[in-house]
Amino acid sequence: MRYLIKNGSIIDPARRVATIGNVLVENGKVVQVIDLADLTLAPEALDDHTEVINARGAVIAPGFLDLHAHVREPGDEHKETIETATKAAAAGGFTTLCVMPDTHPAIDCAAVARQVREIARRRGAVRIEPIGAITLGRAGQMLTEMAELVEAGCVGFSDEGNAVADAAVMRNALAYAAMLDVPIMAHCEDARLSRGWGMHDGAVSIRLGLPGYPAAAEEAMVARDIALAEMTGAHLHICHVSTAGSVALIRAAKARGVRVTAEVTPHHLTLTDQWVLGNLATVHSEGKSSHRSGRERAETDDEGLDLPSRLKPTLLPPYHTSTRVRPPLRTEQDIEALIEGLRDGTIDAIASDHEPQSAIDKECEYRLAAPGISSLETALGLALTLVHRGKLDLVDLVAKFTEGPATVLGRAPATLRPGSPADIVIFNPDSPWTVDPAKFLSKGRNTPLAGQRLKGQVMLTMCRGQIVFRRGNFGVGTGALQQASRLEGILGGENEE
Amino acid sequence: MSMSAGAGPAGNRRRHVLDLDDFSPQEIDEILETAVSMKEVLGRAIKQVPTLRGKTIVNMFFEESTRTRISFELAGKALSANVVNFTARGSSVEKGESLIDTVRTLQALGADILVMRHGESGAPYLAAQYFHGSVINAGDGRHAHPTQALLDLFTVRQRLGRIEGVKVVIVGDILHSRVARSNLWGFTRMGASVTLCAPHTLIGPASFWKATWPDLTITSNLDECIKDADVLMTLRLQKERMEGGLIPSLREYSRFFAITAERVARAAPHCLVMHPGPMNEGVEIMPDVAVSAQSVIEEQVANGVAVRMALLYRLSGE
Repeated sequence: MRYLIKNGSIIDPARRVATIGNVLVENGKVVQVIDLADLTLAPEALDDHTEVINARGAVIAPGFLDLHAHVREPGDEHKETIETATKAAAAGGFTTLCVMPDTHPAIDCAAVARQVREIARRRGAVRIEPIGAITLGRAGQMLTEMAELVEAGCVGFSDEGNAVADAAVMRNALAYAAMLDVPIMAHCEDARLSRGWGMHDGAVSIRLGLPGYPAAAEEAMVARDIALAEMTGAHLHICHVSTAGSVALIRAAKARGVRVTAEVTPHHLTLTDQWVLGNLATVHSEGKSSHRSGRERAETDDEGLDLPSRLKPTLLPPYHTSTRVRPPLRTEQDIEALIEGLRDGTIDAIASDHEPQSAIDKECEYRLAAPGISSLETALGLALTLVHRGKLDLVDLVAKFTEGPATVLGRAPATLRPGSPADIVIFNPDSPWTVDPAKFLSKGRNTPLAGQRLKGQVMLTMCRGQIVFRRGNFGVGTGALQQASRLEGILGGENEE
Repeated sequence: MSMSAGAGPAGNRRRHVLDLDDFSPQEIDEILETAVSMKEVLGRAIKQVPTLRGKTIVNMFFEESTRTRISFELAGKALSANVVNFTARGSSVEKGESLIDTVRTLQALGADILVMRHGESGAPYLAAQYFHGSVINAGDGRHAHPTQALLDLFTVRQRLGRIEGVKVVIVGDILHSRVARSNLWGFTRMGASVTLCAPHTLIGPASFWKATWPDLTITSNLDECIKDADVLMTLRLQKERMEGGLIPSLREYSRFFAITAERVARAAPHCLVMHPGPMNEGVEIMPDVAVSAQSVIEEQVANGVAVRMALLYRLSGE
């Protein structure tokens, strides 16, 4: 099958290109990219085996690479499976997911890594690349057989969810991983400083009486791991950076040549601890539960919001467990520092930290709720609020989903250059939509964004030249339109008919 | 008795009492006024009025409590409600039933009002979303204890004749105290000035508190702030705080933060000594102070029943 994606705004950060044009895909590869200023489409492109996808008004970009997703398989299939996670990924524009090893069993030996890849091969809508555990059972003591795990396809190592508490173990992990030329992807948390935590340690935690997870619990560990990376010469990647202090530590380390990279999640870039405070009025209002889903609220939302700056915690009651995430949602000052970190290159990538939970894990007292946000399907829309608020350029944003994460993995960035694998996302950066968790393809409905209006939506995702996600009838023209676009495509070329 | 059920949040009839943060001074005022009448009822030979006849109140206590539970039970009974006590021990909570399922079960059993004590901050907010009647927070984690704050306000007003302009010093383990937080809302909203006094490990950064209560004074010097206090409220210090490394020793804590007769002598003669109980005598308060003429600790307990009656009456919306 051949696809001609027409009239989109092509953003290819790896080639520093942003232009209107067409992309021709065949046999899983990009065959041709045509700048509309130069309409010379090869005539053989247009035959009965070619589907024309009309991408007018949308962005065509390389498929997104997610450095950090929890897909829950094997072991927690009631929360998510590789099949459902990859479908959600496709709906979010991601064509590759690096999956965290906190499965049951953990990805701490080659057999499990191979099993994950095998399930992904059979049932995955997009590519899956496993991240191995640093230590056996993620218990922080014995190193895993890292060389064999790399052989089995692991692209990095992490004890995600747990920090490696013992600095000597971390030192050895970094040194050993350096030998294999893969990053250690560190979850930075001093678990003694965050013990019993409910939320970010600050004004809201004091008001709500929830034990705090101080910024210093993250920063102390970031500082330690940077020192160890500096000592070993290893590549340290800091997962889900959430505080201004961490950004400053990483910036300083990069400036003196330490091999450190970093990622940030869309929610840490946009939501604050005020979301835990929520809106008391939602509890006092008569009637049924507001805890379940945002659908009813979304339907009664008659404000016609189209400004993403209207993103507000007012739809949630206080202590809503959908806001419980690790690290916790921080403050406006942290958000400003994180955005600055993205802009100046301190933070290389936006990663979803997709963490699906079942209803039973979330419908309980705040501190007892499992942390995490199901984020694959809202990642782009949420991140785009930065573009709409003028904080980040659209091309830079796309780069943080494509080029940036590829650099972290030490590989050439995905591109739309002819000959590249056809991993492509088409998204409309301006189309408004309301987040409805009931419509998620992920099993995880845990999001604080239920009922929120976002601007920017994935329309179509292609992985290895196959359409793995399509919103409605996106790109399918009527007969006449199809005809017209054909004519348009032929302009300047040979007439085949 | 003729009392009107006044406006709650946003002018609507009040449904839940989760904290004092959504009480207007006027609403607090009305409750304290109602409590005066209720106190009069409690002074009668037959301490009962038929106001809540046919209503069912469930005291749902997931945490130990003596005075609050009994106080609510007596308040409900004095208003002729059916009062059922539920404790986590011996209930299906021990079999792993979730809070939401427990609330649904009590709903199905016909409860009209849930009085809830829970160890987790915010738990009553969750219950309130699943319960069609009213939820009264009888203490949640470190977060809030609104009826304690109301009875403290009532006691101060009865004794000093006013709340506005009164200087309140709250001393002790502020960080872990739901009583301190609810009293902060209550006293500041009624125009009192509040000073918090604690070792730094038992309060945290001052800026965290001032973000919500900007007019607070925060200090660790009890001897200094005691001088012009009208109300001296001390809080229970749990012994685990020492094991957790938050204070070096009970002895040192007691030396610098206990309410002693010597310290009280430096305050004004009218200064009230308050404690929400249960007391650790010899740690945060000395036994002689607890029973001194300036102590209103027993009065607080007695007033608790009247104030809770006033609140139950208000929620019944008659």
